[in-house]
Amino acid sequence: MRAETPAGRVQGEREAAGIRVVLADDSVLFREGLARLLAEQGFVVTGQAGDAAELLAAVERDAPDVAVTDIRMPPTGSNEGLVAALRIRAEHPRVGVLVLSHYVETRHAIRLLQDAPARVGYLLKDRVSDIGEFVDAVRRISRGGSVIDAEVVARLLRRGDDRALARLTAREQDILELMAQGRSNAAICARLFVSPKTVETHVGSIFAKLGLLPAADDHRRVLAVLSYLRGA
Amino acid sequence: MTGPMTRRRWLLAALGVAAVAWIIGGEWVSIHAHVPENHLIDALGGLAFLGAGLVALDRRPASRIGALMIAYAAVAYLGNWGNLQVAVVPLIGLAGQQFGGAIIAHTALSYPTGRLRTSFERAVIGVMYGVGVATAAVIALAFDPRADGCVRCAWEPAPFPSRTAVLTALLVNQRAGFGLVLAFLAAVWLRWRRSTPAERRALTPLWVGIGIVGVVYLMGAFASPDPSADSFAYLVWELQSVLQISLPLVFLWGLLSARLARSAVGDLVVELERPLRPGELRTLLARTLGDPSLELLYALQSQDRWVDADGRPGELPAGPDRGDGRRASVTVTDRAGLPLAALIHDPALDQGLVRAAAAAAGIRIENERLHADVRAQLDEVRASRQRIAEAGDRERRRVERNLHDGAQQRLATLALSLAMLRDRASADPPLAESIERTSAELKQAMAELRELARGIHPAILTEEGLPAAVESLADRSSVPVHVHADFDGRLAEPVEAVGYFVVSESIANVVKYSGAGAARVELSRRDGILLVEVTDDGVGGADAGRGTGLRGLEDRVAAVRGTFSVQSPPGGGTRVSAEIPCAG
Repeated sequence: MRAETPAGRVQGEREAAGIRVVLADDSVLFREGLARLLAEQGFVVTGQAGDAAELLAAVERDAPDVAVTDIRMPPTGSNEGLVAALRIRAEHPRVGVLVLSHYVETRHAIRLLQDAPARVGYLLKDRVSDIGEFVDAVRRISRGGSVIDAEVVARLLRRGDDRALARLTAREQDILELMAQGRSNAAICARLFVSPKTVETHVGSIFAKLGLLPAADDHRRVLAVLSYLRGA
Repeated sequence: MTGPMTRRRWLLAALGVAAVAWIIGGEWVSIHAHVPENHLIDALGGLAFLGAGLVALDRRPASRIGALMIAYAAVAYLGNWGNLQVAVVPLIGLAGQQFGGAIIAHTALSYPTGRLRTSFERAVIGVMYGVGVATAAVIALAFDPRADGCVRCAWEPAPFPSRTAVLTALLVNQRAGFGLVLAFLAAVWLRWRRSTPAERRALTPLWVGIGIVGVVYLMGAFASPDPSADSFAYLVWELQSVLQISLPLVFLWGLLSARLARSAVGDLVVELERPLRPGELRTLLARTLGDPSLELLYALQSQDRWVDADGRPGELPAGPDRGDGRRASVTVTDRAGLPLAALIHDPALDQGLVRAAAAAAGIRIENERLHADVRAQLDEVRASRQRIAEAGDRERRRVERNLHDGAQQRLATLALSLAMLRDRASADPPLAESIERTSAELKQAMAELRELARGIHPAILTEEGLPAAVESLADRSSVPVHVHADFDGRLAEPVEAVGYFVVSESIANVVKYSGAGAARVELSRRDGILLVEVTDDGVGGADAGRGTGLRGLEDRVAAVRGTFSVQSPPGGGTRVSAEIPCAG
C-alpha cells in the first residue's frame, strides 16, 4: 500500500468533516476504537449498534450518510450484517453501507454490488489499520461510490486464465485492478501519476479488449468488471 | 400319544374307559330294545367324538374343545340309555338328546380354543341351548310313553300328559333350528373372514365339514322328522347318520393337522441343505409353518437386545398384541440356557410344531444369529464413527467461532489502536516507522490467523452451504478451478462438511502434486445422493492406499456411509469422486 502523504490526510480530514456515520459491531472494544478513529478524522459518529436490529433502528433514527457494519453479528453469527446492509440500501437509498469482515468472499461482494450497485463497500476488517485508505473508503461511499476489497479483486485477477486478460498490457492490468476496487478515474490518476486523458484511453482500451460496453458511472463499471472477472 | 404318563393322563385314561363303557353300554341297551338303526355306525360316531375329545384334552389342555366333544358323546348316548325301561331313565334320555345339536355347534364355532369370541357367536349358541332347555322341559312335563304306545314302559305318567304338546314342541324345535342353523353358518363365515392365514390353513377342512353339516341340518328343517315319511326325509336321515360319524373325524383331523404339518418340517430340513441368503431362513420358516407374518429375531447376548437378520434392532411384542391389532405368540429357542432366537408367530400355530421347525433349523439359526450379531456390531461401529466425525465437525465450527469472536476480533482492535498511535506519532519519524513495522507484523499475523481459522472450518460453509463454499475455495486456488453445481440449496450439516472436505483436500492435492493446468469440480444431487467429483488434467498416479490424504478422505466419506473412489492412471489426470447419502 502506498504511504499516505500529510497533504492527502489534511485533504481527507477536511472532506470528511460532517459525514455522519453509524457503527455496528458486536465487539464493544472494536466499535469504540473505530468510533474514536473516525471522530479524530472529522466524521460524526451518530450512533453505535451491537447487532443488526440495533443498526437498523439507528439508521432509521439518525439517517446517517454511511453505516459501517460487521458482517457476522448476533444472534446467529452468520451474515446478518450483509442482510442488514442490503435492507438499508433498499429502504434508505441515501444511506451508504460499508460491510467489514474478517474474511472476504467474492460471492458477498457480487451480491452487494448486484442488489445495491451504488454506495456500498466491502472490506477486510484488517483494512482499518490503514487509516488513510479506510477513511477514503468511507468518504467515497458517502459520495455515491463503491469500494471493493483489493483482496477480492486480486483473487479474481489471479483466477482469470482467459486470453482476453492476457492481452492487457501491464499498465492496463493495474488500471483494471483499481477500477475493480471501485476507484474513480481521478483516483486512478492520483495513484498511478498519469493524466486523466491517459486513464480514459486505457479504460476504453480495456473495455474493448474484454468486449464490455462502456459503463455510465463508476459503480456500474465496478460491477461490470467484477462480473467479467468472475465469469472468466 | 407320546410323552410320560402324568397324573392328568391317568385321569384321562380312566375317563376314557368310563366313557367307552357308557357308549358300548348304551348301544347294548339299544340292541336289546330292538331299536331299528345301524348300531355299529351309531357306536363309531360316539367313540369318534370321545376319542377326539380325549386327544384334544391331552394335547391342548388349555382348550375346552375336548371337554365339549366328550360332553356331546355323553349326551348323545343318553338317548340310547333311554331305551332302558327303568324308572325315569327314558325321560332323561329323551330330554338330554335335545342338547346334542347345540353342543356340536358350540364345538364347531369355538374350535380350536373352545372359547366363543364375539357376542354374536355367544348369542347364537346361547339361543340354541335355550331352545334345548325349553324342549326338554316340555318333554319332561308332558311326555307319556304309554300313551305313545309303549307297553313295557315302566314309569308313572308325566304330570301333565299331552301328546299334542310334545309333538308341537318337537316341531317348533325343528323350525327354530332352521333359523339357528342359518345364524350359525353366518357366524362361521364371519369367523373365517377374521381368521389369520395360519388359522385358515389349520381350519380349512374343518370349516368345509361344518359347512356341509350346516347344509344337511338345514335340509333336515324341511324334511319330516320321520325317515319313513318320504324319500327326501330318508335321504336326510341317512346323511345325518353318516355325518354323525364323519364330523368327529373331521374334528380329529383338524386337531392332528398340526401333526401332519410336521412332514413340512422334513421338507425344511432338506431345504436347509443348500446355502441361504441372509434373511431367507425367515422366509423358509414362514412357509413351513404356514404363517407369512412370522418374524425371526436374534438375541444379542452381550447387549440384551434383539435384532433381525440384518442386525437392525427389533422388539419382542410386550403382550399378546403386535401393536397393530394382530395377535402374536413368541417362541424363544435357547442354547445352554441363553436365548438364541425368538419366533414371533400367529398364536394359532401349534407350539410343538414351531419348536420342531426351530429345532430343525437350529444350526442355521445359530449361524444367522452370529451373522446378525456381527452386522449389529458393524452398525454400531459405523454409527459411532459417524458420531465421532460429526463431533469433530462441531468442534471445528466451535473453534473457528471462538477464534473469530476472540483472537481475530482482539487483533483487529489492536490494529486499530496501533493505527491511531502511528497517526499521532507522525511528528517522530523513527517511532512512526517502528510502529509501522509492528503494524505490518500484526497484519501478517492476522492474515495467517485468518487462513488457519478458514482451514479449520470456513464460515461460508455454515452461512451459505456447499456450492458457495466450494466456489470460495476455487476463488482462492492458484490452479484455476471451474465449479459446476446443479443445486444451490442446503444439505444436512454432516453431508456439507464431508463434501467440502473432499473438495478442499482434492484441490490441495491438485495444487501440490498434480502439476495440472486446471481442475473441475462437479456437485450434483440425485435420488438423495450428493455426488462430488474433482477432476484435473495433471500427471495422475495418485494412490488411495498411499499417503494419508486420500486415505483420510476415504475414511471420512465411509463414516457417513458414502462411497469414495480415485482414478488416477499415470499421465492421465486424476478423478476423485464421492457419493454421499443426503438423507439421515
